[in-house]
Amino acid sequence: MGWEAVYLQQVINGLSLGAMYALLALGFTLVYGILELINFAHFNVFMVSSFIGMMALEFFGLSGQSHILTGLALAGVMAFAFVATMLVAGLLGVAIERFALRPLRGIPGTVGMITTIGISYILFNLVLLTKGAGSFNFPNPMPRVAWTIAGATLDLREVLIWGVALVLMTGLHLFVNKTRIGKAMRATAQDSEAARMMGVDVDRVIVMAFFLGSALAGAAALIFGLYYNYTSFIIGYTAGLRAFTAAVLGGIGSVTGAMVGGIIIGLIEALGGQLIAVRWTDVIIFSILVLVLVFAPTGLMGRANPTKS
Amino acid sequence: MLSRRTLIVQLPAFGLAGAYAVRAFAADKTVTIGINLPFTGADAHDAQLIKEGALLAIDDANAKGGPGGYKINVMLLDDGSATAGQYDPAQAATNARKMVADDSVVAAIGPQMSGSGKAMAPILSQGNLATITPSSTNPDITNPKFAGTYMPAGKAIYFRTVTTDAFQGPNMANYMADTLKIKSVYILDDSGAYGVGIATAYEEQAKKRGINVMGHDQLDPKEADYTTILTKIKSMNPDALYYGGVGQAGVKVVKQSFDIMPKMIRAGGDGVYGAEILKGAGFPAAEGLYATIAAPDLLANPDSESFIKAFAAKYGEQPENYSITAYDAALVIIDAIENVAKSGKPVDRNSVRDAIQASQAKTLQGTVSFDQNGDITSRVVSVFQITRDPKFPDDDVLHQYKYIGVAPTTS
Repeated sequence: MGWEAVYLQQVINGLSLGAMYALLALGFTLVYGILELINFAHFNVFMVSSFIGMMALEFFGLSGQSHILTGLALAGVMAFAFVATMLVAGLLGVAIERFALRPLRGIPGTVGMITTIGISYILFNLVLLTKGAGSFNFPNPMPRVAWTIAGATLDLREVLIWGVALVLMTGLHLFVNKTRIGKAMRATAQDSEAARMMGVDVDRVIVMAFFLGSALAGAAALIFGLYYNYTSFIIGYTAGLRAFTAAVLGGIGSVTGAMVGGIIIGLIEALGGQLIAVRWTDVIIFSILVLVLVFAPTGLMGRANPTKS
Repeated sequence: MLSRRTLIVQLPAFGLAGAYAVRAFAADKTVTIGINLPFTGADAHDAQLIKEGALLAIDDANAKGGPGGYKINVMLLDDGSATAGQYDPAQAATNARKMVADDSVVAAIGPQMSGSGKAMAPILSQGNLATITPSSTNPDITNPKFAGTYMPAGKAIYFRTVTTDAFQGPNMANYMADTLKIKSVYILDDSGAYGVGIATAYEEQAKKRGINVMGHDQLDPKEADYTTILTKIKSMNPDALYYGGVGQAGVKVVKQSFDIMPKMIRAGGDGVYGAEILKGAGFPAAEGLYATIAAPDLLANPDSESFIKAFAAKYGEQPENYSITAYDAALVIIDAIENVAKSGKPVDRNSVRDAIQASQAKTLQGTVSFDQNGDITSRVVSVFQITRDPKFPDDDVLHQYKYIGVAPTTS
């Protein structure tokens, strides 16, 4: 491998990571944009979703990497797995909002945020107790198809990750900007009181934000499992923290910002590991978080909102 | 919080009430053996197999009336935590204090992991409580050079029924130079006490043998993605990849290295010998992986046949080599208790420690004896390679790891 090929390969790796972080970052940003709440339960909604995705694939009798599907069967199984995982993850997010956060709404301060940390631990320990602490071999029915481009390897899985992420992010963008409920979401984000006065059902908007954010975490979790063929009760923390950094980097509350931030963090992780050393990756990423918070607290795409302090 | 939960389980045969009754009527006729292993986290299944090995010996001894007439109770302690996702040295230290504080504990078995051992040894030394580890191989803990840290009270308390990474790492470097004929290697470790120790010992010997060490990087075991470093390694094109570390990072290294470099020779120590790798990484990713253990291949020993049968009958699964070293550790302690009882001295942790130090116990690996630091006098390192045998379950360590031979000691 020449150095060009190595860097191209690291960019491919970084884009795959970035697509995952971006999907996960969108969940932070959607909820923050509307409630100004950092939802730490999102970390482990992602983790729980990876187990749901695994069950969805095992439902078809798939296990490990030895069952390979092609053509329509593959497309059908994948579509089912994505829809099922995203639906269950979305409902989990809605349940968290309904039972743990709605009763606390209107209470000022950090109560809501602390509650989400509590929920995060409950989910974490629930999976630990029911599934055990081992590493799980995540089924992957995709054939091992790869293309060589200028010495770098592009795997079918990577193409799928980019494709799914692109479709979901475009869909979200259109949803937020073109539909009625999307307009209501934007209105609530700007000023929930005024939106309520204009007849926007704020509760419905909040439920929608939790559903969409968690469903995207579900998609990210399934992608994570298919990419690494691995899951464990512990995966939420590192991925969640990086996605959160991506959301802050892009400007928390901004949908485009979360996508851009995710891709940037993914590329930094891959290229930083190549140029410096992998053990410095976290130092680099979290230094960026600190620098953004100090010098550009609104992030790359965020705007200081005049109606909020 | 659940992650800090500690499990103290009396043997089922001596439920809590039973234990009190026994104590009330024959207060001097029971002793306790502590067992400290990471039942929570990435190595939980292997910890289970080790525990079962030890319990088999203890149950047998109790069924025969106990050594010297002493019934043995077991205090099970979990040094794994959910926050660490694997062994947690802080929890191990707490458990060591718990054992030292309980006067009925005369000896202990464990820990599985060297990172825990480093945290426990100073506390056990102050309490003069001997522990026998069936699997932790970091040499520092028993190295007289570090006696001030790990043996502050002066006497050896950290005994092993396996040899150390002072042999495990270097002997594998010899094997890879002599038999696999590799010329260059890239080394990864998982930042833990065991992983760093074995990888560094391997690196030193590899360099002495003229192998080109192209790099040595440390992984964060909680990180999911190692494709960055593995891509970097692929571009350097070494003959082999050596991984020093345990299952949490090991599973991902095995999986992702297969995705990126399916033809690469991959090897590791006893951290990649076990059910976790077979279950977590699975086939085809695990196929071809070399692993060592710091003991002879006890499962191939014809003497082990009855052990394997009894183990499978009792627990419904196959043992692994460290089930046997744990069984042997329990036999050494049982033998020590018996010797103390015969000599008429009080059976307490001081006398049991001295008896373990002088051990000539007959075990499945032959007569076990220790040097003055607590290390076993036998220094055999065995090499295995994962070769799938579809006739057996994929996570059956006994049948999926194929014994290849003994790794040559540096002469």
